[in-house]
Amino acid sequence: MFPIDIRPDKLGEEMLDYSRKLGQGMQNLLDAGHIDSGVSPKDAVYREDKLVLYRYQRPAEVAQQAVPLLVVYALVNRPYMTDIQEDRSTIKGLLATGQDVYLIDWGYPDQADRSLTLDDYINGYIDRCVDHICHTHGVDKVNILGICQGGSFSLMYSALHPDKVRNLVTMVTPVDFKTPDNLLSNWVQNVDVDLAVDTMGNIPGELLNWSFLSLKPFSLTGQKYVNMVDMLDKPEKAKNFLRMEQWIFDSPDQAGETFRQFIKDFYQQNAFINGTARVGERPVDLKQIRCPVLNIYALQDHLVPPDASKALNGLTGSEDYTELAFPGGHIGIYVSGKAQKEVTPAIGEWLNER
Amino acid sequence: MTQNAFFDDSWLKLQRDYWDGLAKMGQQAMGLDSGRAQGGSGASAPWLAAMEQWRKALAPAASDPARDFMQRLMDQGQAYFGLAEQFTKGLGDTGLGQGADSTRAWDWLNQTIEQMQKGFSGIGADQDESLRRMLGFWEMPLDNWQRMMSSLSPMMPGDMLRNMPNGMMRGPMQEGLEQMLSAPGLGYSREEQAQYQDLMRAGIDYQRAFQDYSGFFNQLGVKALHRLRDELQQKSETGETIDSARSLYDTWVGCCEAVYADEVITPDYSRVHGRLINAQMALKQRLSVMVDESLGAMNMPTRGELRTLQDRLQETRRENKRLRQELDQIQRRLATLPAGAPASSGNRTSTSGSSTGAKTTAATTTDSTTTGAAKKTSARKKTAAKSSTKSSEG
Repeated sequence: MFPIDIRPDKLGEEMLDYSRKLGQGMQNLLDAGHIDSGVSPKDAVYREDKLVLYRYQRPAEVAQQAVPLLVVYALVNRPYMTDIQEDRSTIKGLLATGQDVYLIDWGYPDQADRSLTLDDYINGYIDRCVDHICHTHGVDKVNILGICQGGSFSLMYSALHPDKVRNLVTMVTPVDFKTPDNLLSNWVQNVDVDLAVDTMGNIPGELLNWSFLSLKPFSLTGQKYVNMVDMLDKPEKAKNFLRMEQWIFDSPDQAGETFRQFIKDFYQQNAFINGTARVGERPVDLKQIRCPVLNIYALQDHLVPPDASKALNGLTGSEDYTELAFPGGHIGIYVSGKAQKEVTPAIGEWLNER
Repeated sequence: MTQNAFFDDSWLKLQRDYWDGLAKMGQQAMGLDSGRAQGGSGASAPWLAAMEQWRKALAPAASDPARDFMQRLMDQGQAYFGLAEQFTKGLGDTGLGQGADSTRAWDWLNQTIEQMQKGFSGIGADQDESLRRMLGFWEMPLDNWQRMMSSLSPMMPGDMLRNMPNGMMRGPMQEGLEQMLSAPGLGYSREEQAQYQDLMRAGIDYQRAFQDYSGFFNQLGVKALHRLRDELQQKSETGETIDSARSLYDTWVGCCEAVYADEVITPDYSRVHGRLINAQMALKQRLSVMVDESLGAMNMPTRGELRTLQDRLQETRRENKRLRQELDQIQRRLATLPAGAPASSGNRTSTSGSSTGAKTTAATTTDSTTTGAAKKTSARKKTAAKSSTKSSEG
């Protein structure tokens, strides 16, 4: 039997239905107005250059933990992903478990930031944020939650400043940058990073966006829009979709020298695995990380494959290493309903036990 | 073909009536009378006209993100129904359809795939509109690249070399051009001539790299068609049926994505991809050098000079921050010394934060919109960067 059997009358109905939903959806898009994101109330408590350190306001009914939690997001994309909407907020979930949450917003680097290095970010910005938090709370150590590239930064920071980190949580963090299923890694192997940085100065966010969308071009730049038509007739869903769409294309440029070092040392030379990572003048020895480590990865992650994160097991000096596998993708681990129920409470519980 | 007369005649008539009806509806929706009916694609794709009408009517009132989003919905709606049209109308026009003779239907599919293969190879110059739309689906990765390049290079549109015939920069023409470009410059403007030669070489190299990249995707398009045929064969064997445009579209996307994933993980693709980016960067670098030369000649600051200043400034700031951090540590140690010891002059306050010249914000207002305010459009980003530089850089 020939497997395509689309009756014209049914096709007509389908087209009409699509058009009806599209029409309704268009109206909802027009009515959407301002798309807000980053929903939890917060205060800017420290600024340096383009960096802003935020402290989230704790819910009145929740008893707060004594050790604050610093969230270190990636330089790629914007950190409001962690607090994107009222019912999809990692930050909110963490607050609900009693964490006193701080988050670094790196801002949008411009050409004046071109020569910022990994050393500036890790031993400079992160370290000064940690100092600020420690001083504010009268503590010697903080908990750190590193996300994606921010997780790699957090690993380096924790190895270089083990005396300042009480517990380390890494989420969808690349550690082994050369797993066979890592598309981004394959693509960048033949890119002349020196030429790119010398030419562009900073690496434009558009170039990174193109790389991310190229991971699944037909799904990410095509199919998802068709699927969305089914949801657009509901105003709130239309708004949520636009919010996510805005986040996806909100890509800061990357400070050139940091990009150069991160791509060459990690993506091309796999520095954590080969033990060649350096920040400034100092070698990074992951064995120096002796604090408890919770490593969370996503099973359907197309950006940071699970094996890339799981490689952390055995690399640190921690005797308290835990893994948590989430059945979802790189973004779903923050925004899916399942993540709100499973991931954030698990982080809070893990931290509160230590 | 089936012996049932309904499927021979009635079903076919039903299809033709349907397409005619939809065409009429589309013309009416667009304010065209039947006497002015468009030929070709216009008549066969009323849904396309209807979607376009939606877009024209609503887009001006929409915000930027909503308008972009609407356009994407339109584009994908066209791909989605174009695919269904290709198959449904194709089967109908050839007298095949529901319950049709399986062998003839497969023959039709094979012929269609062959036609599409020619399209991917650039042989079939006069495909119909629906086929072009389906082939266009495979241009998405290339289109993404060109959009991105255009956004980075206002002086150099991403598609500027796209329509150059494949192979133009190879063979005798290439040799002749290279010979010309390798001729030494003469006279007073010798250096300038050499720069233009370098620029042209970089342009040619980028064009070759782009054609290789484009060729890689054409090859994938053909493979995706084979994957689609295999998928349909598999469904046929298991008795599964594709009975909606959405289902057909999802199957096609799945095939494209699967073939793409298999191919872009290979070292070959890594080389093609790397070469494309490297060639683009080399071309941009040549342009930058020439722009800098011109700026220098006009006694204006060049990018090179600015970078030197930025590097020196950053180095100074780095050193300054380090020294102030050390000073802060010393002051804190002093503060812990017993009475009678030298007094500390610089205990940190709750908002002093870093002692590195960084500024702090005491009691900033509750900020659920700060992130939103920092949203990026390229224009706003520049503004934000400027104001941020003014307000917080030490």
